[in-house]
Amino acid sequence: MRFWGRALVLGVGLLAITTLFALQRSRFRPFGDEEDDPAPIPPDAREKTEYAFARLRYPSAGRSWWFRSSWPTDYPKADRQFVQGVRRLTRIHTRSMEEVVDLDSDEIFKWPWIYAVEVGHWQLTDVQAKRLREYLLRGGFLMTDDFHGTLEWDVFMESMGRVFPDRPVVEIENSDPIFHVLYDLDERVQVPGIQYWYTGRMYERDGIVPHWRGIYDDQQRLMVAICFNQDNGDAWEWADHPRYPEKYASQAYRVGINFIIYAMTH
Amino acid sequence: MFEFLFKYPASVFAKGRFVLLSSWPVWILAACCAAAALALAWHVRRNRANLTGLRPAVVWMLESSFVALLFLLLWRPALSVTTLRPQQNLVAVVVDDSRSMALEENGSARIAQAIHVLDSGLLSQLRRRFQVRMYRFGGRAERVADGHNLSGGQNATHIGDSLSGVLSDSSGLPLGAVVLLSDGADTSGGIGRDAVAELRRRRVPVHTIGFGRERFSRDLEIAGAAVPARALPGSRLSADVTIVEYGYARRKARLYVREGDRVLAAREVTLKADGSAQSEPIAFQAGAAGGQNLIFGVDVLEGEENTANNAVTRLVNVEAAKPRVLYIEGEPRWEYKFIRRAIEEDHALELVSMLRTTQNKIYRQGIANPKELEPGFPSTAEELFAFGGLIIGSVEANYFTPQQRELIREFANRRGGGVLFLGGRAALGDGGYARSPLAEMLPVRLPEAKGTFHRDEVKAELTPAGTHSPICRFDDDAGRNAEHWTRLPALADYQETGELKPGAVALLELSAGGRRRAPLLAVENYGRGRTAALATSGTWRWQMLQPLEDKTHEIFWQQLLRWLVMDSPARVSASTPRPVLSDEIEAPLRAEVRDKAFQLVTDARVAAHIVGPEGLSVSIDLPPEGHEPGVYTARWTAEKPGSYVAEIVARRGDEEIGRDVVMFRREDGVAEHFRAAQNRELLEKLAEETGGRYYRPEQASRLGEEISYSEAGITVQETRDLWNMPLVFALLLGLRGVEWMLRRRWGVV
Repeated sequence: MRFWGRALVLGVGLLAITTLFALQRSRFRPFGDEEDDPAPIPPDAREKTEYAFARLRYPSAGRSWWFRSSWPTDYPKADRQFVQGVRRLTRIHTRSMEEVVDLDSDEIFKWPWIYAVEVGHWQLTDVQAKRLREYLLRGGFLMTDDFHGTLEWDVFMESMGRVFPDRPVVEIENSDPIFHVLYDLDERVQVPGIQYWYTGRMYERDGIVPHWRGIYDDQQRLMVAICFNQDNGDAWEWADHPRYPEKYASQAYRVGINFIIYAMTH
Repeated sequence: MFEFLFKYPASVFAKGRFVLLSSWPVWILAACCAAAALALAWHVRRNRANLTGLRPAVVWMLESSFVALLFLLLWRPALSVTTLRPQQNLVAVVVDDSRSMALEENGSARIAQAIHVLDSGLLSQLRRRFQVRMYRFGGRAERVADGHNLSGGQNATHIGDSLSGVLSDSSGLPLGAVVLLSDGADTSGGIGRDAVAELRRRRVPVHTIGFGRERFSRDLEIAGAAVPARALPGSRLSADVTIVEYGYARRKARLYVREGDRVLAAREVTLKADGSAQSEPIAFQAGAAGGQNLIFGVDVLEGEENTANNAVTRLVNVEAAKPRVLYIEGEPRWEYKFIRRAIEEDHALELVSMLRTTQNKIYRQGIANPKELEPGFPSTAEELFAFGGLIIGSVEANYFTPQQRELIREFANRRGGGVLFLGGRAALGDGGYARSPLAEMLPVRLPEAKGTFHRDEVKAELTPAGTHSPICRFDDDAGRNAEHWTRLPALADYQETGELKPGAVALLELSAGGRRRAPLLAVENYGRGRTAALATSGTWRWQMLQPLEDKTHEIFWQQLLRWLVMDSPARVSASTPRPVLSDEIEAPLRAEVRDKAFQLVTDARVAAHIVGPEGLSVSIDLPPEGHEPGVYTARWTAEKPGSYVAEIVARRGDEEIGRDVVMFRREDGVAEHFRAAQNRELLEKLAEETGGRYYRPEQASRLGEEISYSEAGITVQETRDLWNMPLVFALLLGLRGVEWMLRRRWGVV
């Protein structure tokens, strides 16, 4: 009897410790199971800052059940490496750890800059499309990245067309302030994904020509910046790798920083 | 009764000098009194019999007083008074013929009551003794033959000017006194010192007869309306309207502001106690650029005796100018973006901003040309003072050079601009402002410790002062506005400040979970300008956390920045102390002229081009004011009632320094309806200061006798015996009678 009593106490104790650990872990790694490229949690991850890299968590379409969702592509390493550059190169008070935001929660309105990756797979519900429209018209900013070719563009537009049925997607002119707000980005090149390592190919699928497109509001301010046929996320993720060309990593950082500063000034 | 006992009216005693007519010296009188007192003391002491205690002393005092009074009568006491010589002096009868005298009370108009007083004996009484000249007056006095021309139709009541006119008309003549019949409702703002001084110099007493009730029993009056003289198009303005009521305490009334027939705002007010001046704010929106004649009033209540005083007109010059505001921000922040967005929607403001994106790069927006602000924050007065307002964001105090810090201080102090300090991690206390020379500009004290900026959510709470501030108004109705503030989302962050400085006002306070309430938005006047501190950078949440249709964030920032620049003067600043000429015709115009560094310009040529009613167009020069450098003034006569616009242009050589517009309006016959109750205090004071007396109409019959005692005109010195006053005999009898009664009571008769 005494043995079973001790075993029970030990079991409850272990359960409590495990639960506590799980809670701690989930607090800082709430999407641990979905991390595409895990990275250490920075020591100042809890710091309250003006800006945090807000990654949009969205439902994906056309993926088999065994595939992970597309929203966490390059997550969280790309996010954490990119914000190191933001902290070093600008005066933006930036958090070292990203924030994952969801269109189903009002929390998204506290993060006026969001990043959505692989939007060639996203499939927003009508409610989410409506909330994204409201978010953008109130003053939020969306950067999309890492989708390629005709098919993925069509998937992207299927949802974006419901967000803004009445606003065209246009090529962003070189003269637009978004390319000059900090860095002058007149000379832009296609930023390749990690496939460049092993294939030497700059593009994916039939996305040969890179595009910087956007959707403007009535005051000619960009609300959505669309990086099509390019993969800035991979460049951020692999910027520390000697085999990933510095030229592309640098441009990806400059593009990302310009997009943030533009969103904080326009 | 007084005259029965003392034989003469009180005015004789007031004006006369006591004399003893006997040729015997006064010391003999004193000696006789003393000797009699001693003799009586000896006598009472010897014959005191049953008198004990203080009783002998009482008897001695009564007997001594009796004997002393008899001795005094032997010395023939009298009054020496100066009186007007009969038929050799002039008396001016001056009757108020203004519109307020036409008000009916107790079945007859005040003017009719005045005529009745004159016709029922006063005039004939005066004519028996003096030459009488009769005048009527409104804005000025004019001679009339009799009272039959009086109708109560004059547009103004200028008592001082009218009395001066009477004095001038009678100069060289023996004017013995003035009899003024009036309700005292002077519309010129009071009787001038010059008029009173002249009356005193000539020793002419003004006897006043007051007509009209001293207060109405049922009346509502707009006693004043304070409204900014200038505004930007579409600005939300707040006016303070003063209401005085009689007979409607605790009743509801509708206060309104309208332009023509269009009501701009209206609200219900609860009237306070009778006779008390009640100040009620009313918020409304200024319209498009141009002059606006705004009417502030209360609806007429049932049974009001005077309905013409329920509204006043005020002029507001809605300027087409687009003031520029410079915003310097030390780091990219959401607040910066959303402030810019809010002001971009305001067509009356221009926001020029400079943002430190990196350590060495500044991103400029809203600049007039690529060169503007290229070298950084302005370092000359000419460059900085071109702006009307300045916003300092999250920028350390030592980012500015000592010269720039002094310029910022001078920007508010000398240039008259508005400076707004925002909260932030490099702002206020954390930005080192507590130890900076700029600390004195802030409306709040700052803690010297770092770590005062917190990225924790707090709610903004409206203070009582904020309730009435146009900065914090989202709704014209104060109740709905207060409720609006309670519904706002929390701010993203806040910064600790110290307490308010003397003279500063907190419009918003922050509150979060039991934390001490602290100023969130504080404002104060600083030098010629104004400063404000908004201890947060988190108002952008009002934009992002509220529906797209909600305009709280935009309106708040537009109103805050409009307040910041609205009173920032241009290089040429025109004004008039009398924007509404109530029954006056002379408009004083004033212009202050400064150069690009806002130093006063003393050698400018200043001219005003005035446009008025019936196609009037005239130009006048404004010469320099002698004792005020940089100030140019002129007085111009507005011949016709109506609205006038004066554009004042200042030049130096061929260069135009600047121009400004000032508006004024001449109104005739309106002021008469305000403060129309009898101003007894003014009439009494006038009489007292000139040596006359105030009379009620029923006392006027005594005036004929009392008016004779005057030192003006042709006079004679008269003595009036006092020994035969009934009071003296009553006193003698009284003294003996009291002694006899006391002796009877004490049993020592």
